[in-house]
Amino acid sequence: MKNYIPGNPMKQHWLVPFLFLLFCTVIVHAQSIQVKGKVTDETGGGMPGATVKVKGKAAATATDNNGNFAIQAAATDILVINILGYTTQEVPVNGQVVINVQLKPGTNDLSEVVVVGYGTQLKKDLTGSVAIVDAKEIKKTSASDIGQLLQGRTPGIAVTNDGQPGASPTIRIRGLASFNNQQPLYVVDGIMLANTPRDFSPNDIESMQVLKDGTAASIYGAQAANGVIIITTKQGKKNTALSIEYNTYYGVDNVWQKIPVADRMGYQMLNNESQFNGGQTPAPANDPSSSKYIGNVDTDWQKEGLKTGQRMNHNLNFSGGNDNSTYNVSLDYFKQGGTFVGNGPDYTRYTGRVNTTQSKGIFKFGQSLSYTHSKENSLTFRGDVLTGGRPPLINDLIIAIPTQLVYDPSMPNGYGGTQSDRERAISLNVPAVNSLFTNYTEVDRIFGVVWAEAQLLNTNGHSIKYKINAGYDRTVARDFAFQPTFDLGFFFKQTVNRLDDNSRIYTNGLVDNTLTYDKKFGKNAINFVAGMSYNKNSALSRFGHAEQLDPNYLVLGNGTNKTVDGNLIPYSFFGLFGRLNYSYDDKYLFTASIRRDGSSRFPPGNKYGNFPGVSAGWRISKEEFIHLPKWINELKLRGGYGQLGNANIGDFRFLSLLNPNIVYNFNGTKATGGLQTNVVDPNLKWETKTTSNIGVDATFLDGMFDFTGEYYMNKTTNALIGEEIAATVGSNDRFPTTNAASIKNTGIELNLGYHNNKGAFTYNITANVSTVKNTLLKLTGTETSRIVGGFINTVGHEIGRHYGRVVEGIFQNTDEIANHAFQNARTSPGDLKFKDLSGPNGVPDGIIDDLDRTDLGSSLPKVYYGLNFTAAYKGFDFTLFLSGAGGNLINGALYRSLMHTTDYINYHEDALNRWTPENPGNEYPRLAADDPNQNGIDSDRKGWLQKGDYLRINTISLGYTIPKLNVNWIKSARVYATAQNVYTFQYYKGYNPDFAQTRAFEPGFDPGSFPTPRTLMLGLQVRF
Amino acid sequence: MKKIFCYVLLGLLCAGCQKELDLQNPNAKTIDLYWKTADDAQLGVNAIYNSLIQDGTYMRMFPALTDVRGDDFTGDSPWGDLVQVGKFSIPSSSGPVQWIWATHYQMVWRANQVIINVPAIAMDEDLKKRIIGQARFLRGLAFFNLANTYKAVPVPIELPTDKSKYNTPTATDDVLWNQIIEDFKAAKAALPATYAGLSGPDAGQVGRATKGAATGMLGKAYLYKKRWPEAAAEFNELINGDQKGKYSLMPNFRDNFKETVENNAESLFEVQFGQPDAVGGTIMNYGGEPNANWKQVSSTGRTYAMDGYGYSDFLPTRWIYNEFKAEKTIAGKSDPRLLATIASFEPDDNSTTVYGNPWPFAQTMIYPRKYTHDGLNWPGNDDQENSGINYRVMRYADVLLMYAEALNETGATADAYSYIQQVRTRAGLPDLSTTKPGMNQTQMREQIAHERALEFSVESMRINDIIRWGWLYDAAKLTELRAHDPDFASWRPGKEYLPIPLSDLNVNPNLQRNSAN
Repeated sequence: MKNYIPGNPMKQHWLVPFLFLLFCTVIVHAQSIQVKGKVTDETGGGMPGATVKVKGKAAATATDNNGNFAIQAAATDILVINILGYTTQEVPVNGQVVINVQLKPGTNDLSEVVVVGYGTQLKKDLTGSVAIVDAKEIKKTSASDIGQLLQGRTPGIAVTNDGQPGASPTIRIRGLASFNNQQPLYVVDGIMLANTPRDFSPNDIESMQVLKDGTAASIYGAQAANGVIIITTKQGKKNTALSIEYNTYYGVDNVWQKIPVADRMGYQMLNNESQFNGGQTPAPANDPSSSKYIGNVDTDWQKEGLKTGQRMNHNLNFSGGNDNSTYNVSLDYFKQGGTFVGNGPDYTRYTGRVNTTQSKGIFKFGQSLSYTHSKENSLTFRGDVLTGGRPPLINDLIIAIPTQLVYDPSMPNGYGGTQSDRERAISLNVPAVNSLFTNYTEVDRIFGVVWAEAQLLNTNGHSIKYKINAGYDRTVARDFAFQPTFDLGFFFKQTVNRLDDNSRIYTNGLVDNTLTYDKKFGKNAINFVAGMSYNKNSALSRFGHAEQLDPNYLVLGNGTNKTVDGNLIPYSFFGLFGRLNYSYDDKYLFTASIRRDGSSRFPPGNKYGNFPGVSAGWRISKEEFIHLPKWINELKLRGGYGQLGNANIGDFRFLSLLNPNIVYNFNGTKATGGLQTNVVDPNLKWETKTTSNIGVDATFLDGMFDFTGEYYMNKTTNALIGEEIAATVGSNDRFPTTNAASIKNTGIELNLGYHNNKGAFTYNITANVSTVKNTLLKLTGTETSRIVGGFINTVGHEIGRHYGRVVEGIFQNTDEIANHAFQNARTSPGDLKFKDLSGPNGVPDGIIDDLDRTDLGSSLPKVYYGLNFTAAYKGFDFTLFLSGAGGNLINGALYRSLMHTTDYINYHEDALNRWTPENPGNEYPRLAADDPNQNGIDSDRKGWLQKGDYLRINTISLGYTIPKLNVNWIKSARVYATAQNVYTFQYYKGYNPDFAQTRAFEPGFDPGSFPTPRTLMLGLQVRF
Repeated sequence: MKKIFCYVLLGLLCAGCQKELDLQNPNAKTIDLYWKTADDAQLGVNAIYNSLIQDGTYMRMFPALTDVRGDDFTGDSPWGDLVQVGKFSIPSSSGPVQWIWATHYQMVWRANQVIINVPAIAMDEDLKKRIIGQARFLRGLAFFNLANTYKAVPVPIELPTDKSKYNTPTATDDVLWNQIIEDFKAAKAALPATYAGLSGPDAGQVGRATKGAATGMLGKAYLYKKRWPEAAAEFNELINGDQKGKYSLMPNFRDNFKETVENNAESLFEVQFGQPDAVGGTIMNYGGEPNANWKQVSSTGRTYAMDGYGYSDFLPTRWIYNEFKAEKTIAGKSDPRLLATIASFEPDDNSTTVYGNPWPFAQTMIYPRKYTHDGLNWPGNDDQENSGINYRVMRYADVLLMYAEALNETGATADAYSYIQQVRTRAGLPDLSTTKPGMNQTQMREQIAHERALEFSVESMRINDIIRWGWLYDAAKLTELRAHDPDFASWRPGKEYLPIPLSDLNVNPNLQRNSAN
């Protein structure tokens, strides 16, 4: 398969990179000596299809099926060898006639092909903001969800998650830009997903790109406002014999963070003191003079409730191909055992995938088909079973009182509980709940994509390709929850057992048709894509409930008081799109795209939206009249503007609906009623995000450094927000959704790579840092600020700033109280002294109340950063990956509840330093039951707002590739050891400073996130 | 070439999917397709009743926050709001205060939907009349509760068809009470005395609003507005007039608070609660979007019940206990209403247990019993949140005592005796005309106040009586109240009502603060 370019090759210089890749072109420049050699990959396998060029000349070739090449070059020439996914190498000929080159994996090559949505572009031609994720590096981390792998990898993408197996992360691209769903759109093999990508194996990823701005993402129109993550799965290589790879690792997970809480003595002493100060008597269990005093139980709940978890992964991959077809088949097993005592949380996943391609003449087609079965034992429980609005179970575990037994044979279930006339504590035995209750979600997911392509025209420089891409994604989930009868103390009892057996079925069908036209004339190159996309989805939910079952026969049919429920949510999207890429002389780059999307989610008249994007780039380093210093190899300036939509608003929300299920009874006979229960905004439409972006891409010192810097500004308008209406309207929904708010985010993103080698020692450093500044431009129009909990959202300032009182110290004596603004009649020495900031007339009024609240700082991290260091020496390879963020303050529910004064729950060790007459300090107030002075109210008292800054050592990994094995059926083998989530430098006294910020108006509130465990893994990669 | 390209493109694009974007919601009818048939009208009125069984109404918070403000009840809860309401110091941001407000207005909107939409439906005219009559009754009841709880409130009687109609202004006292009276009048005119013997989907149903209920509430509204002759006329109609004999006192006082003797002869209107095994349901009916799986239970019982059997959020005051003890029955026993109202260790009256178990507390302690299951053979104590005890909104005893009061206020003090005595006789108390003959109007007032305190303690009434009798603004009476219940020490003028919820004040510029804000 050789083609020859007619004409003067020097003049066609700009065409070269294109045509090499499209046609595997070889240009023979008849001159000099012939150099032969073999290009191999990191494992020593021959690499077909690598380009070998003579630097500064037109001569170029491609390696054959075995990786061999031959090229004419002068003795003083330099050979440049590159292929997608590997670092380009330059090798001086130095008169050698045989040059063997081993390529290192890497992604910083400008001729790299980047998937940009309905097409590809060369990296050097990119004008929009596209982050290319280093798929090889992210796979060094073990995670149950693909999205988790992105944390710290590229600037501008904030990934937050807790350590619960199977939990989906929260991903926020370039700032908090919506009060609604901020999850990015995932596109897998060209198919826009309607669901999370949790059920895909990270091992199947070939490449991953993130479209961050409107320029790049507007081709995905109304679904792209939160950014687009494009995932391409692995394909086999043509003309390659069957290659079998086996990857496995085994690891252990441990919660390395210990929350320091009081022991029995400390708890009883503090609780008695608190009760005494509040004018109460001690609980009998804490009163040494009581017959019910507990002096022999001292439970360490963290020790009892947490355990070592195990995780493992087995992946078997078969790939290969001949002239016309390729295949890649993989089997994957992943299990994350979890660190909680009892039933989960844990996550197990089985995945199978078959990807194939075929080509003949002008036709190509292919398919990728994957099946996943997963089971997640979740840690959720029903609020109507464990009454009282319990916190997340992890918090319940830590706040449990030390005088409660974990196991108590005298109790019906064998687990300890508290009594109202003994401990008085509402303290949940978490290991008991997690052992007695069964909660799991089983998922079966089939995801298939079929595509076909025809080269309709390929003459005189015109090329037209037609492609159809059709996908079907069906996810069937079963949510099973069984609560037996239990008696876990006076507050946690249930005399009937209950079973919920629910199912959810999500289907997503999608068809894309695209036409791609390419034409080159003179120095001009045009690429035009036009297409249509139709997408139909549905979500079907069924709920079944039964009670009083025989616990050995847990099917709904065996129970009493059976109820069912269900709903069906269909929705559809239809989009038309087009994109024009134009370049002149390889210097001036221009891209314009538009998508017109229609969605069933919006009312007639608002169904359609247009989403344009334009961008331009200027490769300054190619400009002849600008003479850049020699050490600058590549310099590109680019910028763009675009609009995106966010249609994640739920379905049918513009319709006034009948609720036909309003129950009542007449003297015991059930009756049903129906009428309208909610008012709605009938004119809902898209949220629109307008983005502007300018950036610089550069490489220096022959590729030793590469650099990308960007400045962005995003503005979301018509953002959906609940607009509070008077309760006198009578609507159950007192915050009907309407398009009113406006949010701006600006920031800078920098990415710097450094690649060097000292002999056999090669190393790479990639560092990224990004900033984000958030401004709330508008709420509902009539509101200037919205206070939600301890947070204020003020127009003109950022979203969710901490809000509360200012602490001036602690009252040391009654005179100080008398001379201070009035707080409470029962305020006593040891209580917090709040600053009198204002009153009804805007001036201090001598009374401390809600008018004395003020802005206490930011909830949103200002800077995110990541650093990846890799090194190789002979057979050894090493990785160190760090990431962090900072500039925010956290309101942590766990710490605040442990520093409480009201309930009978355990205390943080900091409470031991509370104010007492003998220990008059100014940091921690006294403990007093009922908290008459409201010491627990939102304020800036010590610990109430904690710095969110952190630096995490995410990964340390050391691998060794065994050089030559004596068995010839093993091509290569690598063993490695990885430590993940090794340590986090943090101020935060909860578990995760990077907890998922999921509350729209209270982003800085951590209700209690699951500890991310430290994982130690041993792995093996073998190729046959 | 370019032309071909364009045609191909256009062909693709024009094969549009316009129709595919017009999806029907398969889950629920849009409301513009509703209010067309007799069924719609019947289902519509049923839905209003559902507003009665939520936390903001009779399921828990309306009785709780009304009772705790009385001098016979005091907060004993870790939930600060419940205590602060009792101390008249509740902030306007309080959740429970807002729930009562919101749920009553939910009931108003639901009633308005029926009152406005049903007249245009072609259907049986008698049924239509009954449906609208029930809606008028329930709307009147909602406004009546709002007026007594918040004093000055908006009176929305139009549908909130667009945003411009959302911010209903605070109504004047005249507009508010005229609406209450008009609603009860309309209901009285439209409703049947009973649904037995009717034809239609509501035939034979018990628990719907009746003519008697509307008459009683109309009289009560007149009474609260001190329109004594009009009040007396309505009560007289029930006792001696057209509706004579429809209602009578139950022989056993406690029958009025049992699940087994509901909708009895004494009951003019009651809110229908039911346990899941009778009426189904798995999801607590505190509030939110109604669902076919809602329970229909009351959690007043668990809220009131003593430690170990409930949350014990409230305690009776020692004053009301002493008030019961002030008079012995003819048989020389304690007033039987004492042990129906208060759980107390009374060996002399054969009361030494709670929930069938030996008295576990200090013998001097007293706890609420009315509306709890104490003494009712309740199988266990775990699921008291699932109480099915109907809430009695109006009992015939109230009609009798209100009639006595109206008579006394119109000067017919002597005529009041016999109606008071009917209530006393049921309790076994001696004849008042013998023990206290010839009372003047003022003395009779005092007597009626005493009788009402004993008969209706813990029935969401006491604070309304205190307010309408003007006791809080009478120095001597205020001193008495403070002696009854120390909570009144922190009462300040105007604070006898619940404050207008802050959230509504924030969004509705036409809404005025009230004296409790």
